[in-house]
Amino acid sequence: MLGAGLILFLAALQGVTELFPVSSLGHAVVVPRLIGLNFNESSPAFVPVLALLHLGTAAALLFLYRRDWVRIIRGFFTAAVRGRIEGPDQRLAMLLVVGTVPAGVIGFLLQDPLKSLFGDPRAASAFLIVNGGILFAAEIFRRRDERRRAVGGAPVLAHEEDDPAYQGIDGLSLRTAVIVGIFQAGALIPGISRSGITMAAGLVAGLRHEEAARFAFLLATPIILAAGLLEVPDLGSDAPTLGVGIAAAALSGVVAYASARFLLRYLRLGRLDPFAYYCAALGAAGLVFIH
Amino acid sequence: MRGSRPLALLLLALAVVFAVLTIFYFTVKTNFLASGRPAMHWKHAVVFLVLTLLAVIAANFARPKPVKA
Repeated sequence: MLGAGLILFLAALQGVTELFPVSSLGHAVVVPRLIGLNFNESSPAFVPVLALLHLGTAAALLFLYRRDWVRIIRGFFTAAVRGRIEGPDQRLAMLLVVGTVPAGVIGFLLQDPLKSLFGDPRAASAFLIVNGGILFAAEIFRRRDERRRAVGGAPVLAHEEDDPAYQGIDGLSLRTAVIVGIFQAGALIPGISRSGITMAAGLVAGLRHEEAARFAFLLATPIILAAGLLEVPDLGSDAPTLGVGIAAAALSGVVAYASARFLLRYLRLGRLDPFAYYCAALGAAGLVFIH
Repeated sequence: MRGSRPLALLLLALAVVFAVLTIFYFTVKTNFLASGRPAMHWKHAVVFLVLTLLAVIAANFARPKPVKA
């Protein structure tokens, strides 16, 4: 069983790292070991406790995009009944469905084999470096595209949202959404960030940074919620007390909400490079200091 | 997108397979497509139920529809 203090620490850590492109699972495995908190990551309660924290994160995302979700759910049902896409809400709903199904199915099939990797901080450290590489590669790809357009005579604009070359979610094709969804399954590996890998895929697909983050958050919500709802019953006798469980989920949710708001604001002008450097540094520290 | 009757029928057949698997996992102790000892795998049942519904919706998208005047 995990102690209340440790669970609350993991809740705050999860809240910060779930939506930042830095892998919450990688942090939950690596950071406690790096700072000398000794606990058994292979404990049967570890993954279900993380799933409990996921419920808090999912609630934060649902609240953040509550108006979008009302439109998405309405759009999903009308499109499903009519069998055709007739409006932007229906299109967004179907983009999320075709993006979620591959990640959900792959995740469900590979979850158990990959659980065995969850308890290995050195593997997570190595994959954090890989995650940094993915973020960095996406930004290199975007910069190269910007340079190529500038050479071709396109005006250099200070605000990405003014640039017609880069689109919002509405411009994504269903095929691209499926590919982004398949990328999302990479987050089953500890150290690979769900939001990071989907943001990177979104950037490569031509989304603006802020829209790539929005799409990543919308796409992550059903998976995070389902993971939480399916895993929490496995807590069993290792479950924290009800009070600690609620406090941890709430703490995770509040911190995740603040983190998401910050990230969306940052990405109006900023890029993913700082997160790439951070992941590489944390991963390297894990490989050097964890034995 | 123009509809395709064969594709719609294929998706419906897939929905039937998923529905059978849903009932199977809700009612039979098994380790088919699951790890560990034979047990009730209700999570598998939920996943296949969702896949059943999605296959039906996909079939509805794929079926030919009358052209609007």
